Amino acid sequence: MKPLAAAIAALLCAHAWAEPATVIRATELKKDPATDAPTVAPLGENAKVDALERKGGWTRVKADGGAEGWVKMLVLRYGGAGESKQGDSGVGQLLNVARTGTSGAQTTTGVRGLDAEQLANARPNAAELKKMEGYAATKDAAAGFAANASLEPKRIAYPREGG
Amino acid sequence: MRFLALLAALALLAPAPAQAQFRLDINRLIDSARDVGRATKDIDEKQEVEIGREMAATLLGAAPLVAHDPMQRYVNSVGRWLASQTERPDLPWSFGVLDAPQLNAFAAPGGFIFVTRGLLEGMRSEAELAGVLAHEIAHVLQKHHLKAIQKSAQVGLATNVLSLALQDRNAAAREKLIAFGRELYTRGLDRSDELEADRLGMVIAARAGYDPWGLPAVLQTLQAMNPQDSGLALMFKTHPAPAERLDVLEKAAAPLEPYSAQPQLAERFSQHVRP
Repeated sequence: MKPLAAAIAALLCAHAWAEPATVIRATELKKDPATDAPTVAPLGENAKVDALERKGGWTRVKADGGAEGWVKMLVLRYGGAGESKQGDSGVGQLLNVARTGTSGAQTTTGVRGLDAEQLANARPNAAELKKMEGYAATKDAAAGFAANASLEPKRIAYPREGG
Repeated sequence: MRFLALLAALALLAPAPAQAQFRLDINRLIDSARDVGRATKDIDEKQEVEIGREMAATLLGAAPLVAHDPMQRYVNSVGRWLASQTERPDLPWSFGVLDAPQLNAFAAPGGFIFVTRGLLEGMRSEAELAGVLAHEIAHVLQKHHLKAIQKSAQVGLATNVLSLALQDRNAAAREKLIAFGRELYTRGLDRSDELEADRLGMVIAARAGYDPWGLPAVLQTLQAMNPQDSGLALMFKTHPAPAERLDVLEKAAAPLEPYSAQPQLAERFSQHVRP
């Protein structure tokens, strides 16, 4: 499955997704999403797994042999290794079709987007900026929006450079 | 930047009677260029917002807002809540979803934050959206774009021109700011600024009560895509590779482990952001 399509499919079924991934270095499959949780099985470098669910910095995976457990999300890489990745989000095709049109003549009518070329020719759009500023939420409204989902503010210091 | 180079050259050769139509500007430039360093460091908040409005309007000239009020208001609620947890809670923060299929996000000085429809549609949860917005918010907090303006003497000169423009509504000077904005969004910020925004972004998301791993989750989605994908071209040109960003974040993220179980809000996200 193409990554973007996979991401959209995952979006449609919220938490439950199964996406093939590779373990980038040897690690341990944990029973729970915590460093001190019991180890279910060791996983070798380049082990293939299916990613099922993420919780914080942990992803629940199903290993090749069928064992399930949690690994640190950042030991996983999706979509195969580098050059073997294929597929396209379709942006290129969309723009090409729009540019070529049925006559084959170059036209930018209806083509909107944010690649370097379009940015290079951009003129300020004051009306859209006014519209955007009109959408702004007040501090109080945003606090209410957060409270509705039980988002609780925390005091946390920024890390120093290099972690 | 050709015109700037010309101005710089003229400043050295002043007075320059041949350029009659620019004489007034150049004389004022020569005056202000004497303390370029001081002037550019002293951009006050009001000027910062004015610079940001000009740059934001330029982005909106490349791609308008998605015409979907509830989605725009939703993204503003998430963004404003995040911004309230930062050291600059009282900027006039506003957020916009740009109607572009490419995957990208942008910030402009003073609190203008953008995410493209293409990037938004690839996300799975409000925590992922929060992670991306928090990264952009960090650029504003750290004034990364203003620092880019200050960085080169020539562009520092442009900021002075800008100050004149803001006072005089000088059309020629305003044009230079627009050109600078286009150039900066095409060239990108410093690599170290991007990595700093990643580190700060995770903390801001955690402060706002979200699962802080939303940003790395989006980076993993990007990392899984074909790097030749045309929808990624500008983002990959202007940012370090996702794999590198993930490697760097792995170290920075460790202290956030206690906040792992904070909510992702996948359902509220999909209620508001349906393709």
